[in-house]
Amino acid sequence: MTVAETTGGVVLRRALRRQRARVAAGIALLCTHQATEALVPVAIGVVIDSAVATGDVSALLLSLAGLAALFTVLAFAYRAGARLAFAAVEHEAHATRVEIVRSALDPRGRRSGMRDGELLSVTASDAELSALVVRVAGLTAAALTAIVVAAVALLVVDIPLGLGVLIGVPLLVVALQRMAPLLTRRSTSQQEALAATTALAVDLVSGLRVLRGIGAQDHAARRYAGASRHALDVTLRAATTKGLHLGLTTTVNGLFLATVAGFAGWLALQGRLTIGELVAVVGLAQFIAEPVQTLGYCVQLFAMARASAGRVARVLGAAPVVQPGDAGPPTPTPFRLALDGVSYAGLDDVSLRVRAGEILGVLAYDPGEAEALVALLAGRVPRADHRGTVRVDGVPADELHIDAARAVVLVEQHDVALFEGTLRANLSAGASVDDEVLRAAVRAAAAEDVLAAHPHGFDRLLTERGANLSGGQRQRIGLARALVADPPVLVLHNPTTAIDAVTEGLLATRLAEARGAGTSGTVLITTSPALLRITDRVTVIDRGRVVVEGPHERLLASDARYREETLR
Amino acid sequence: MTSEPTTRQLLPTATGRQTWAALRGELALLPRLSAVAGTLLIAAAATGLVAPWVLGRLVDDVIAGTDTPRVIAWAAVIAGAAVLAGLLTAVGAAVAARLGETVLARLRERVLDRALHLPSATLERAGTGDLVARAGDDVAVVTNVIATSGPAFLGALLSVVLTAAGLFALDWRLGIAGLVAAPAYAVALRWYLKRSVPYYARERVATGERAQATAEALRGAATVRAYRMEDAHVARIAERSGVARDLSLEIFGLYTRFGLRINRSEFVGLAAVLLAGFLLVRGDLATVGAATTAALYFHRLFNPIGLLLFESDSVLQAGASLARLVGVTTLPDTAAPAGSEPNRHDRGAPAALEVTVRQHRYDDGPVVLRDIALRLAPGERVALVGASGAGKSTLAGIIAGIIAPTDGAATLRGVPLTQLDEHRLRREIALISQEVHVFAGPLGDDLRLADPDATDAEIAAALDLVGATEWVRTLPDGLATAVGEGGRQLTSAQAQQLALARLILADPAVAILDEATAEAGSAGARDLDRAAVAATEGRTTLIVAHRLSQAATADRIVVLDQGRVAEHGTHAELLRAGGGYSKLWRSWSMPDPVVPRERESTDQPVPR
Repeated sequence: MTVAETTGGVVLRRALRRQRARVAAGIALLCTHQATEALVPVAIGVVIDSAVATGDVSALLLSLAGLAALFTVLAFAYRAGARLAFAAVEHEAHATRVEIVRSALDPRGRRSGMRDGELLSVTASDAELSALVVRVAGLTAAALTAIVVAAVALLVVDIPLGLGVLIGVPLLVVALQRMAPLLTRRSTSQQEALAATTALAVDLVSGLRVLRGIGAQDHAARRYAGASRHALDVTLRAATTKGLHLGLTTTVNGLFLATVAGFAGWLALQGRLTIGELVAVVGLAQFIAEPVQTLGYCVQLFAMARASAGRVARVLGAAPVVQPGDAGPPTPTPFRLALDGVSYAGLDDVSLRVRAGEILGVLAYDPGEAEALVALLAGRVPRADHRGTVRVDGVPADELHIDAARAVVLVEQHDVALFEGTLRANLSAGASVDDEVLRAAVRAAAAEDVLAAHPHGFDRLLTERGANLSGGQRQRIGLARALVADPPVLVLHNPTTAIDAVTEGLLATRLAEARGAGTSGTVLITTSPALLRITDRVTVIDRGRVVVEGPHERLLASDARYREETLR
Repeated sequence: MTSEPTTRQLLPTATGRQTWAALRGELALLPRLSAVAGTLLIAAAATGLVAPWVLGRLVDDVIAGTDTPRVIAWAAVIAGAAVLAGLLTAVGAAVAARLGETVLARLRERVLDRALHLPSATLERAGTGDLVARAGDDVAVVTNVIATSGPAFLGALLSVVLTAAGLFALDWRLGIAGLVAAPAYAVALRWYLKRSVPYYARERVATGERAQATAEALRGAATVRAYRMEDAHVARIAERSGVARDLSLEIFGLYTRFGLRINRSEFVGLAAVLLAGFLLVRGDLATVGAATTAALYFHRLFNPIGLLLFESDSVLQAGASLARLVGVTTLPDTAAPAGSEPNRHDRGAPAALEVTVRQHRYDDGPVVLRDIALRLAPGERVALVGASGAGKSTLAGIIAGIIAPTDGAATLRGVPLTQLDEHRLRREIALISQEVHVFAGPLGDDLRLADPDATDAEIAAALDLVGATEWVRTLPDGLATAVGEGGRQLTSAQAQQLALARLILADPAVAILDEATAEAGSAGARDLDRAAVAATEGRTTLIVAHRLSQAATADRIVVLDQGRVAEHGTHAELLRAGGGYSKLWRSWSMPDPVVPRERESTDQPVPR
């Protein structure tokens, strides 16, 4: 294994290391903030003791000035500290996200074992959640500081009282935390039910035209109502649990306050506490529960960050699918592409030759075998998974550097993927190409309607995945894109399935003109007679084997099975 | 999203007044629950005031030098209030949730019901984008705010109001001192909302664009790799992610500046209360205990006020979403009146359909159809053939009753389609278009959308008729296998087989297939054509044909050219006529030996 072992722990440690400057400064400031928060009740006690109870004006002014200073420190420490911590999370999430995308788009492919949907959620939410480890660090440190400051303040006032509060509060919080797993479970199922309801609504409305087409809107509405009622039940269960927890917290905090107030009042009555100290103790007893709860929250947050980091690590640490060589671009030979005795996923000892200047048709009776051939030619199959050799200009494809291989062989898929952006950007696929070249390719792909129907021409904007084009238009733009790229070997897989008969005929003729001359090779993997008609030769694959080869017309005349498979 | 110049904003949004009225109306439907919830919440907040008040009295008593039992009594009062407050809080939260969540569930169900029954004309104009956003995002926003922030927000609000009242009850002068903070808070809030709301909208857009770029690149990964565009896509995603990140940072900066202003307000209020307490105690107008209670009251307010202020923007967002939801509920209701469903056993009786279009155009656009008169006899299968843009889909839409012709009419069994209610129409005339959608969830559920009462046997029969039995059998859980978004991805041919199976289960009298088998991989094309024939057997059928083999098997063929009927007749008649159709057919079904291929000389090219 060439890739270093990447685990969730590695991802988390790396996050802290990368953001160490922000994290360190953020922690210092957040600790300061929590310490000053803890001192607010003490300050109130001091004002009451020194000024309100005595009526001393100068003491009042002095203590109010002290209070102002306290608030100033508190506010600015929070502002700067929280910003630093937040920035650390955001920068880390961004960096991780970009790394994930780069890894997912690795030209060699990666064996993360995740589908697109999963990968998407890893880039969207797991990148963010794993970065939260930075926030956990800040919050934990700040909460501990608050507890220490409050503890010291309490112990200074009265040692037994301080010890009682210090032991009592964590015990109570821990006891209340025992409900946490139940709360989490309930609110997780609540969120799941609500997300399912939302997803159902989106799904049904997205398919609204389909539903309307068969008059199924009422059934759909009833199905949604069922899901909505289920979500309501689950939500109410969660709300009841939350209410119970809230009520319990209120009661427990109140009982604790009663105990502290009673004891501190008794101490004050004994003259061991001033009135201000009484106020401060009561205030601190209430305050200290907050940082303790924060610690509990941090534990949950850390568990979440670790789980997400595990998924991030799965993507970043995934091994490449193929191990390409490092040979440079091969010199052109009379046979641009050759398969020698290739066996893979249903293909059995298949040999093919694509000559320079030739258009080769491949008709696989089983669509799965056509897919297997496409995967092989696209270089998506690791060496170990197939037998035989794929040669590009005489050089075994797996010895070529990935860029060299891709520079020679281009596979345009059946389900064309277009991207948001201008028509020009889509056609040129990132290269800088003359409009004349684009126009010629669009014409060859019989896609002039896409261009002509729009006032902006090549600057026409395509929406996400070319959704504002019809299926047939997308296919033809995909074909035009491949013709613009003008690769030495072009592989087209069922390029006209969404295109009407008239247009397909036109396209076939023009495609023959565009690719038939020169030294390039073209492979048309298709069952369309209109396309097979323009090929020089057709190789027929049945049950994984090449069963017959020859010009389309001859096969049509001599082979009954061939005729049946290609007749539309 | 805005690349096409048409405005999509066609669904109504309710005004603030309408939204409130709708909410009040909903609450009025549950009068007892509303009253109980309100009482409990107020009582819970009120019991929360006991402790600070008792602490103030305790301070006074300690100063006066009271005895131990009195201190214990005060502590017992705090304890009693705590138990009561806990009880009221727990029950109040549960009851309030029942009220709020029930109202919300009813609202979302009504929104989806109206969305699903959007009149065809509105749907064709508005598209599904905005509708999806409302049924999805807006419902989710309102639901989440009510479920997560709702109880806390309400509790905080009551807490603030009652504490302020308590402050006044204690001593009106201390109450006024506390109110000194109110303008400071108000200014801070106004400052924040003015900036944050537009910011959040921008952040949502930026996050959406980032997600979109990522999804596109990952889904199209094979193409990205084939064209060596990885760097460009990574750069684009990095750029968008950077924009979203910077916006988040700016928003957080705003948030912390808001926090600063809140801290300032807290100090102003606290200092004012302490100062007032000082003056009152000095003037012998209040006790030290009262001053202490006031300071504690005010300190107690920090958290709820902060919560109210920081949550205010999400509450505002929920309000905006709510207005959009209430807007959807004001749409006319085209849902089935009870009992209008055709009897299950009467469905599918063949019917004659006639259409006359003297002319049709979209808005002020060019004329797309003219001089068309067409009659489909009961059970007849007619194929519509023509190049892209010949007007096939428009004619299919008119016949399906989805598009009203500018000048002309369509009738079913002699009744104009415009006189049939939408629901009845859709049960009689089914339209299967190129737009395939596999509904997420178990495969059986997808099919039962067409007929919820279908038995497993009926479903199996429908699947068999469209030739899907074989691949359905290979699914891990058969009909229970999750398909569609988040489930097993079906090929487009399989998805179209499902569409045809739904058609069989819906069992309409008339079936219109608008290129319903077009996207299939070619190998499956013939199977799909067979499936389409099987699914429409015995129905009056119009097929917009992509492949001429579909046309060849039809009873009659209509060839459209630039909006007019160029030819019509049976396959054999049209071939004999020797017009455009016969040429097309010949170029399709057999190699054309007459036209010599231009590139035969390149058989033995010289390699460079």
